[in-house]
Amino acid sequence: MMKNVFVLAEHRQQKLRDTTWEAISAGRQMADDLGAELTCLVLGSNVDPMAEEIAKVCPKVLAVDDARLENFNSDVFISAIQPMLADKGPYVLIMGNSNSIIDLAAALSVSLDAALATDCFALEVQDGKPMAWRQVYSYKVNTLVAFKDAERIVLTLRTGSFRVAESAGEAGTIEKPDSPLGDEPARKRFIEFVEAEKGDVDIASADVIVSIGRGIGDEDDLDMFETLADAVGGVLACSRPIVDKNVLPKYHQVGTSGVEVKPKVYLALGISGAFQHMGGIKGSPLIVAVNKDPKAPIFRLAQYGIVGNLFDIVPALEEAITKGK
Amino acid sequence: MDIFVCMKWVPDTSEAELAVDADANDIEKDDLDYDMNDWDRFAMEEAVQIKDKVEGKVTVVSVAPEDAEEMLRECLARGADEAFLLADDAFEGSDGFAVAAVLAKFIKDRPHDLILTGTLADDDGGAQVGGMLAAMLGVPVATLVTKIEPRNGKLTVTRELEGGLSENLEMDLPAVVSVATGLNEPRFVSIRAVRKVAALEIPIMGLDELGLEGSQVGTEGSRVEIVKMELPPEGEGAEIITGSAEDAAARLAEILREKGGIA
Repeated sequence: MMKNVFVLAEHRQQKLRDTTWEAISAGRQMADDLGAELTCLVLGSNVDPMAEEIAKVCPKVLAVDDARLENFNSDVFISAIQPMLADKGPYVLIMGNSNSIIDLAAALSVSLDAALATDCFALEVQDGKPMAWRQVYSYKVNTLVAFKDAERIVLTLRTGSFRVAESAGEAGTIEKPDSPLGDEPARKRFIEFVEAEKGDVDIASADVIVSIGRGIGDEDDLDMFETLADAVGGVLACSRPIVDKNVLPKYHQVGTSGVEVKPKVYLALGISGAFQHMGGIKGSPLIVAVNKDPKAPIFRLAQYGIVGNLFDIVPALEEAITKGK
Repeated sequence: MDIFVCMKWVPDTSEAELAVDADANDIEKDDLDYDMNDWDRFAMEEAVQIKDKVEGKVTVVSVAPEDAEEMLRECLARGADEAFLLADDAFEGSDGFAVAAVLAKFIKDRPHDLILTGTLADDDGGAQVGGMLAAMLGVPVATLVTKIEPRNGKLTVTRELEGGLSENLEMDLPAVVSVATGLNEPRFVSIRAVRKVAALEIPIMGLDELGLEGSQVGTEGSRVEIVKMELPPEGEGAEIITGSAEDAAARLAEILREKGGIA
């Protein structure tokens, strides 16, 4: 039986990230279902303010202060977390699924001799055993996974799938163990953060976005799409494959790794709806999708959709809009 | 520099109609086309580009059924020096952990400086084999890498974070680097290049050749088990506008006009 549920707090540039609060709320539910104790680990430099913030929503905080933990360097974090959890008995460790934690989770699970499920959108407990829901096959199929008799389980959570933890009333306790890091030098060293180059359009401030994706095929003549964007008075944006193929520059890319947008209307053309893309448009009040695959995940987020060939529908739409003006 | 590239052979599910199989344990795969995982294509290209810069040898390896030979042959045409197919019925049902264990066993006793993988695969989206392999080999890992520069026996890599932010890191070798899509432009493979490698041997290695036990691979060697698979419930999400392209477009134009979608 699992005795402990741990959550790893994530921070960047001395600020806790939202993944922390989502992991704590998921962790609290898991701890309740298992009858286990919930503890949040926060490893950082000048960690006190972060530890105090976490204690407002978590009954127990283990805070490690070490300048070498200032940045989320997976190599250093594994060296620190492994000895901290070595004698903690059966446990579940829950974290976000951010780009920093993608770097950490898999190698950490092997160091901890734990089973791993990543990018989980829901968790449950059956007969005292943790289980996790994930999406597979281009995000079109849901799967429930279990962990045999594993005594250590690592779970990472899909961003935005769990609510943000709220204060539980009484503030939690904070323990500050000595840094478990030894003198061995890190094999991976942080150098610097780099900001994306700014372009001539700022898609984040647009009211209407016409966005193109893999469905445009090998087409690199964007005339048809630019004409439609002009007709609706919007800007042209895209999903990742279009940037990967150098058809549009990076600052046109919508998604968690590109630009997060919140236009009044988001028109998704030939975008299937990879999770990273959906994460960048979730706040949009009206999402309209055109795609030839009726099962494309984008249709689950959109309010209106047309199933069909882009190269027929886009010119027809442009004409219908121009005619109505 | 001894470079390994780990490739995955995946079904193309992006536009296919999918159905869950009778045991609700996987999808029906018989009618699906298979290809190299898109992310791995970029890893393959990066390996060849690094080899061109610093000299070395590129070895491609895949844990896959025998059909995947065509993918490995394509890798040879893309510039790999050697390819190995790790195929055995016993590998079927392996999760990310068991696949990483097979790859680690293959790579461990061969000279290795840099191991490249894609960060994730479009079938199970686990993003875990690269990191697990690194831990099993006892070397550092960087994932979601958009730039690699080998310098003085070390690597400088750029990793993608959220919201347009990236980070630069320096890594010691040997290391595992899992790449992001878009870090290079995978080359076009000509028919001539494919013909040139048509006769090259691609050794197949199974449990015995690798010195593995049956209990380390397949479902037995896996730490995660699939309880069930299901398609998301129908009827959620978008109202689908039907009719001819013209009719559907006219209706959509009306909706956009009503909802302020035309600025």
